[in-house]
Amino acid sequence: MSLTAERLDRISPSQTIAITSKARALKAAGRDVIGLAAGEPDFDTPQNVKDAAIAAILRGETKYTDVSGTPALRRAIAARFAADHGLDYRPEEIIVATGGKQIIFNAMLATVGPGDEVIIPAPAWVSYPDIVQLAEGTPVIVPAGQNQGFRITPQQLEAAITPKTKWLILNNPSNPTGAAYSPEELKALAEVLLRHPQVWVLMDDIYAKLAFDGRKIATLVEVEPLLRDRTLTMNGCSKAYAMTGWRIGYAGGPLPLIKAMDKLQSQSTSNTCSIAQAAAIEALSGPQDSVAAMAAAYQRRRDLVVRMLNEAPGLRCATPEGAFYVFPALHGCLGKTSAGGKRIETDEDFVIALLEEQGVAAVHGSAFLFPGHFRISYATDDASLIEACTRIRRFCEGLR
Amino acid sequence: MPALAERARGTNFSASMSVAMRARQLRAEGRDIISLAIGDPDLPAPRHAIEAAKAAADKGRTSYPPLDGLPELKQAVRRKFKRDQGVDYAAGEVMVANGGKQVIMNAFLATLDPGDEVVIPVPAWVAYADMARVLGAVPRLVPCPENNGFLPRVEELEAAIGPRTRWLILNFPNNPTGAVAPPGLLADIGRMLERHPHVWLMTDDMYEHLCFAEGGYRGIAACAPQLRDRTLVVSGISKTYAMTGWRVGFAGGPAELIRAMCVMQGHQTAGVNVIAQAAAAAALDGPQDIVAERAAIYRERRDIVVAALNAAGLRCHTPQGAFYAYPSVAAMLGRSTPQGRMIGTDADFALALLEEAGVATVSGGAFGMSPYIRISTATDTESLREACARIAAFCASLG
Repeated sequence: MSLTAERLDRISPSQTIAITSKARALKAAGRDVIGLAAGEPDFDTPQNVKDAAIAAILRGETKYTDVSGTPALRRAIAARFAADHGLDYRPEEIIVATGGKQIIFNAMLATVGPGDEVIIPAPAWVSYPDIVQLAEGTPVIVPAGQNQGFRITPQQLEAAITPKTKWLILNNPSNPTGAAYSPEELKALAEVLLRHPQVWVLMDDIYAKLAFDGRKIATLVEVEPLLRDRTLTMNGCSKAYAMTGWRIGYAGGPLPLIKAMDKLQSQSTSNTCSIAQAAAIEALSGPQDSVAAMAAAYQRRRDLVVRMLNEAPGLRCATPEGAFYVFPALHGCLGKTSAGGKRIETDEDFVIALLEEQGVAAVHGSAFLFPGHFRISYATDDASLIEACTRIRRFCEGLR
Repeated sequence: MPALAERARGTNFSASMSVAMRARQLRAEGRDIISLAIGDPDLPAPRHAIEAAKAAADKGRTSYPPLDGLPELKQAVRRKFKRDQGVDYAAGEVMVANGGKQVIMNAFLATLDPGDEVVIPVPAWVAYADMARVLGAVPRLVPCPENNGFLPRVEELEAAIGPRTRWLILNFPNNPTGAVAPPGLLADIGRMLERHPHVWLMTDDMYEHLCFAEGGYRGIAACAPQLRDRTLVVSGISKTYAMTGWRVGFAGGPAELIRAMCVMQGHQTAGVNVIAQAAAAAALDGPQDIVAERAAIYRERRDIVVAALNAAGLRCHTPQGAFYAYPSVAAMLGRSTPQGRMIGTDADFALALLEEAGVATVSGGAFGMSPYIRISTATDTESLREACARIAAFCASLG
């Protein structure tokens, strides 16, 4: 008999293992590889945040805290929700977790049972369906391609909802596309949701501060307060404050859901690292200029990357509204053979040949449930980006 | 509101957390409360761990950590297992998690299907059974009576093992009793498990360095090495180095299980805070004198508490390790408090003690064996003396 649980078999094998292990092997062999695969900022955590962490260490704030986070941090989060989105979450309606991922894990574990359906627009971060399956639910993938701005329509949402639907997960702006819903588009989705009171909504706003062209990205409860009692508004410090390694995610939501998540978290990890919590208070309450500076840098890089990729034959790259990714279509490259003699039948063939022949690491679209594309993270310095895009163009020009 | 899942409806806060929350609430109301409810050491984290954390924060090593732990921490963990338990783990046989609790959750997620069973000697830390239940598994509790030194009997453990048993969980020194299994008992349990090859063995060694027994705590690797390919050893920095808030636990075990646990952690939280990992590596690799010094402090407190509780009329077995005492409140049942509360159960006793005498403890029911209370000695000695005096006065006041 197997010593492991069936749960393990339900989880899809990692789509990115082949590409990341190849990149690592090439690097170890001394090859010059530009990595555009990682989903994390290249900026360092702001100094004021690091200083706050060190001060907390010296104060000895190194003991257990409340499972859902220190009262001070939950107050800071409530204030940030209020300032950014005009939301009125009370501290007890807020939970702090070890990364945004744990917020999703807690929420799914607290609500999803066998047979429950969770609507996930694709392209999507693959952890959503994986966590849903871990909770014995069924992911319902709704595709939204470049032709519709990588955003689902109200009609698509309406058609996907069944009596078994438990959640809709919206990631705004999106990983991997950088596409963001406008407030009007969110409102239109909200109108559909109001007709289906059995559905929870997870608003994953983790990239919302990285918005371009003067845009302000709204969250669902802000545009439709009637959905407050069944929306989980999630955010975190990783992307906005370049704090991925600190592992701080948080969410505001209705008290019964937050309580249930709190209980489950008390069974799996209890509180998030107390020092990281102290750092998060400073990130959220301290000066916010580093956020604007990072967003401005990402916007400049976005423009650079979109322009250069659209010059490459066979690629078509939309201009994203936020985050730090682009998700170009590569259909024009399929069915061809690379300069190195490799047949390009799939998006995975494309990224592997690109890595082997030009030393650029990206992630194929299938890893985001959306073949025919690839994801580039432009959270890296301008010089590397220019060199990488030049190599990509050279690669595409070499296809026959 | 849309509905919650079955697994959330059945789950509750742990009893010690509930008591701690009530104690905080009473304090906020201005009451003078001594909390002996939580196993959170009052001593500071080691200096070198703090320095390492500061350096890591300053250096800006703040990108996503590897899922299974920073390489330098994994190496420190391997050195630690070699040093303390004489077991050699390869790099793929150790992993780092957000506290020992997550190690256990990872292991359960990776191995338990609904209906599977987990054998847990009790009294035990509540989390084992609660976590199993969250995943739809069934805890099988095996009582370890006080007259057996709160230790399990091998034949009773074996009787609890069935075809659906996935795990046997051992925790020594034990929370909440402080019991420590002698090497001979661990060897006997090992031999018994040879007859049940479908069962994983978890030893939760979180308190391994807080052991007052002769020769210290000898881990399972030394006593039952033949079970290595199905034994998971859990430990961490929380109790040994007084670093509870940092949330770093780790485990050693067979590569296949460790890999599956990493997959599960990948879907819950991903890796562990990098600053905390740097601090943990420094704690494990740095000078270890602090460990023996602290064990001596806890031993002294144990002696104070055991003597005081016995004098107060609560029969208190002498713990061999950890920082808990687990006195029986049997002699207090059926009596009533000055404010008129009837003491029918250990939970009644703990509640009345908190409300009327301002001492927070956890009732034994929460650990699977009544009528007892658990007292944590991870509090400064002066407060402990005061708490014991209050407990004595409270017991004397019962009618």
